[in-house]
Amino acid sequence: MKKQLTAVALALMFVASACASDDGGGDAAPDAQSGPTTTVAPARGGTLVVAIGSDPGSLNPAVTSNGGVHTASEMMFNGLVGWGTDGKLVPELAESWTIEGGGTSYRFNLRQNVKWHDGRPFTADDVKFTFERALLRLHSRTQASVGTAQPTIETPDQNTVIFRFANPYAPLLQQLNVTEAPIIPKHVYEGCTDLATVAGCPANKTPVGTGPFKLESYTIQEIKMVRNPDYFRPGLPYLDGMTQRVIPDPGTQLLALENREIDWVGSVPGPDIERVKANRALGTATAPRGSGGGNCTLTGVFNMRPPAGRPGFFTELRTRQAFWHAVDRQQAFRTVSFSQGKVAQAPINSGIGFASATGLNLPNFDQNRARQLLDQVGWKDEGGGARVARNVPNVPDGTRFEVDWHGFAGDQTTYGEQLRGQLAAVGITLQVKTEDNATFSRNVFNQREFDTAVVSYCNGDDPDIGFRRQVDSRQISTTAFTNGAGYSNPDVDRLLDQATREPDPAKRTPIYRQLQEQLVRDLPYLWLTESAGLRAFSTNCTGFNHENTGLFAEAASCRK
Amino acid sequence: MNRRYVVRRLLQVLPAVASILIVTFAVVHAAPGDPVVAVAGESGNEEYYAFMREKFGLDRPVYEQFWTYTTNVLRGDLGVSFVQGQEVVDLILERVPATLLLMGTALLVSTVGGVTLGALAARRPFGPFDLGVSTGALVGYALPSFWLAQLAMLTIAFRTGWFPIQGMTDARADYTGLAHYLDVARHLVLPSLVLAASEVALITRIARTGILAEMDSDYVRVAQAKGLSPTGALMHHALRNALLPVVTVVGTRIGFLFSGAVLVETVFGWPGLGRLVLSAAQTRDHPLLLGMVLLVAFSLVLSNLITDLLYARVDPRIRYR
Amino acid sequence: MSIPVSATAEAGAGAPAPGALPGAPVAGDAPGAPHRWRATVRRFLRHPAGFTGLLLTLVVVVAGLLADVISPGDPFRTVGDPLLAPSATHFFGTDNLGRDVFDAVIHGARTSMIVVLGVSAIASVIGLAVGIIAGYRGGWIDDLLMRITELFQSVPRFFLVLLIVALFGAGLDNLIYVLAFTSWPTLARVSRAEVLSVRDRDYVEAARSIGATDRRIVLRHVLPNVLPTAMVIIALTGSRIILLEASLSFLGLGDPSLMSWGYLVSNAQRFLRTAWWMSVFPGAAIAISVLGINLMSDALNDVLAAYSQKRGKRRRRLGRRPTPTVLPA
Repeated sequence: MKKQLTAVALALMFVASACASDDGGGDAAPDAQSGPTTTVAPARGGTLVVAIGSDPGSLNPAVTSNGGVHTASEMMFNGLVGWGTDGKLVPELAESWTIEGGGTSYRFNLRQNVKWHDGRPFTADDVKFTFERALLRLHSRTQASVGTAQPTIETPDQNTVIFRFANPYAPLLQQLNVTEAPIIPKHVYEGCTDLATVAGCPANKTPVGTGPFKLESYTIQEIKMVRNPDYFRPGLPYLDGMTQRVIPDPGTQLLALENREIDWVGSVPGPDIERVKANRALGTATAPRGSGGGNCTLTGVFNMRPPAGRPGFFTELRTRQAFWHAVDRQQAFRTVSFSQGKVAQAPINSGIGFASATGLNLPNFDQNRARQLLDQVGWKDEGGGARVARNVPNVPDGTRFEVDWHGFAGDQTTYGEQLRGQLAAVGITLQVKTEDNATFSRNVFNQREFDTAVVSYCNGDDPDIGFRRQVDSRQISTTAFTNGAGYSNPDVDRLLDQATREPDPAKRTPIYRQLQEQLVRDLPYLWLTESAGLRAFSTNCTGFNHENTGLFAEAASCRK
Repeated sequence: MNRRYVVRRLLQVLPAVASILIVTFAVVHAAPGDPVVAVAGESGNEEYYAFMREKFGLDRPVYEQFWTYTTNVLRGDLGVSFVQGQEVVDLILERVPATLLLMGTALLVSTVGGVTLGALAARRPFGPFDLGVSTGALVGYALPSFWLAQLAMLTIAFRTGWFPIQGMTDARADYTGLAHYLDVARHLVLPSLVLAASEVALITRIARTGILAEMDSDYVRVAQAKGLSPTGALMHHALRNALLPVVTVVGTRIGFLFSGAVLVETVFGWPGLGRLVLSAAQTRDHPLLLGMVLLVAFSLVLSNLITDLLYARVDPRIRYR
Repeated sequence: MSIPVSATAEAGAGAPAPGALPGAPVAGDAPGAPHRWRATVRRFLRHPAGFTGLLLTLVVVVAGLLADVISPGDPFRTVGDPLLAPSATHFFGTDNLGRDVFDAVIHGARTSMIVVLGVSAIASVIGLAVGIIAGYRGGWIDDLLMRITELFQSVPRFFLVLLIVALFGAGLDNLIYVLAFTSWPTLARVSRAEVLSVRDRDYVEAARSIGATDRRIVLRHVLPNVLPTAMVIIALTGSRIILLEASLSFLGLGDPSLMSWGYLVSNAQRFLRTAWWMSVFPGAAIAISVLGINLMSDALNDVLAAYSQKRGKRRRRLGRRPTPTVLPA
């Protein structure tokens, strides 16, 4: 018995210490949003330590839209055009530009005397090489938007680049920042056999860019970068160096931040948001765009085009409608996203003001209606949990309504688990599958062996950047993060083209509205939540540019 | 130490190695689906699969494949991990030092701590200290290491601020020399304590039992009858002989320490094999997982060998029957 | 051929009984009489560790068996607001998706029980059969079976399971098979050792001389002497299996359709500071079941050793010959 008591005592001890609150509330700190740099003569020196979730494997942001690679490497590169702290476009590698021919031709005058980290000069050839060999082939957002407009890139001289389009192309400038189009050096990468892999391109592990920081060392534990003394912006960066520490668990990241072992956490886990905001030693900011892209909408994907041999669960519109009605997106948003962001009200993210819409007729949460629709389609409730198919088009008789849900670890699978409970109530069994990037891309986009999946489609600053690839039938491909549903509607394609070619933003709005109304009728996707991450950082450091995620620390400084 | 024993014991390594090779080969080839995928993992492109097919001779008959596999393994060539873009052997060897450091420290702590606690407990068998230690040991053994790691991080690391929460080195400073070692040592404390927790239980009990048995034996009683104090008897006689079973047990725990290290490393962000194994399991990176199995299996063979030889050296009564 | 102590390739369950020395065989050495069950059981129940262990284990077993009665319905469904502290309606609180933690823990007990029972059943049958046949027959059969045993014992269990899950998928059956196939070798060794010590006893000799068949001898004399020690090993293996299954689920490699304690602890990691109950109760459940089983096996070991001490000569050996009696893998 003594052993029992001791065991219980020990357990209680752990419990007691774990639940005592630490940063006792107090009055809420004034909203410590560090905006544009306002301090007088920021101190030089110091190292900024940033947490990243995993070892990215590669440090080349031009050949992938993978968020992990981008977070780790963007500080070492630049785009042609960037975002200023006030959210307006500012020159970066391009000093100035002119738009000619009503949007069919963009001429960029490149900054002179910019050097790569290895000392070689930056020229127009590098821009051409980057777009043609890397971005247009391998970066999914560039491929899907700029790529479909099929530009030709001319380099009349070493300091000029011209993009020529067959039809007027409105959204080019927003896609030239370091996240969407980082420029890589031709002389380093032209010898690679396969730019997309490390095996085919060892330079992917030893990046050479023009950015404010350059690589010092890349180990399993961290990526160490030091100041680029030849950076083209005079005086910058203030920091001596920046280190990205791999800490896989988000809770541990936050603990490390609060313990002063690191200075910056890119995304605060939902349950800790309240406490972090109340902590006076930490600043917070909501960033409009992350390194995976901005204006991201978490979207459920229906496989409307399954491969032979796989039942077509979601080829029927009424089935998709039933799925929508069965799901309580509001509740899921509260429990999984901790009410950070918004429930999606339209297919296009509301962050793109002119294009998004309100008052669309999205199906509401109504489980009875869901059951009705399923019965109509032929999914009969025969007891025993999942419904059984009787005369359902594209589904063999007797098949049970058991479908899978593929997603990355984290919120994506948590959404799946939340929906699983709701769907079980109408007779749909959802099996959640957590996968890594490679497996997910293969199952969903490459082989289409899935029933439902969840993707965070980052729309970017123009629907053409990140939204178009979802619904454009020409974007049904094996490349990851394109038209996962396999949705094809010629009317929608036509409207997309029309909107892209329309130079007047005011005239684009009604086109996008029409487009979205059609999408709401067809329901190829389940638009769940517009996610918004919260960043947290030590108040020891200031000068962050939250508008330009890639170069957020360009003008930052940390007290030592 | 009997030379014949040594030779025969060394020879026993061969069937052990053979079994490991046979079992791993059988497992991989019994897997459903495309044999190339079974050998090379699920992520990969055409080129990579062709490369791996070539390397492991997957088009050849089974016995040839086994021979190729054996020679590859013994040469230290396990192919390339597509996901990580590096040779499997390199990936593993890069991270082995950090994990070995963690395991070694945990082993040391648990052995020294266990023997000390066991000795102290043995001084007054069934007394309050003894019961407390036994209970604590049992509980420490029963608590899952990953849970303990979470709690330790939260209660000790975070509240006291004495120990860092993650990583092996300080992220900001760039220490060299002595300062570097001290930095690593500070980071090592919590993970190794958590890992040692389950081991301490076992060692404490064995030490205690062994010491009690020795104290009970004739020669110790004679010594005490001649005037040696109980503490003296414990220290000079019992302890030394009781260490033998401790050493024995420690050698057999290597496999357990490896798996424990994997779990603890994922919680504390220790840059060792833990994370590699985890991501390999999640990305279905078969060559990497196979590499891990082989690494640990061969380590076990080695540690068993060392333990047996050590034991035979120390205990002159051992004869190989 | 002696079995070097280190031949247990990957030590697993570990904690040997306080009374057991690494060198001393545990039971069945009583010369003459076969085993007395009733006395053993009574002794066991009076042993404080045994009784406590039995109680703890029974709690877990009952929870597992009656999971659908105690906590009817799907443990994965939302039943309340998320992150509620323990209360009268939700004994262990709710998790981040509003699921009842108590229901989840109860269903987790069922998963653990299924795994332990499945593994124990398969491993026992194989282990006992191999061990008894090898020990009883001797000769080349013994050698062959021991070689086969070594084959299965050489590969580290945890990492092999990872590989198998990757190759064959993360279902419960795969898990049970792998764990069973890596657990029987220790049992085989131990049973064989026990059989060897019993095989040449007088009463067995006597039985043989009056014409009893081998089968009868095995069933009536050998088996009852092997079983007690075997049970100790099985119990220790069982506790190790619980930890293994929890570890796998913690890493996200368990069966996703079944509620598991390891999954709960893994899910709770983010909420450690806001909802301690999500981690504490499942973790405690794991600890309690492992503790219970270990206490029981300790007590059993104690009781058997004491019994053999009482009946037979006092077991005092100056030399410690290494045999792996109480260090199962």
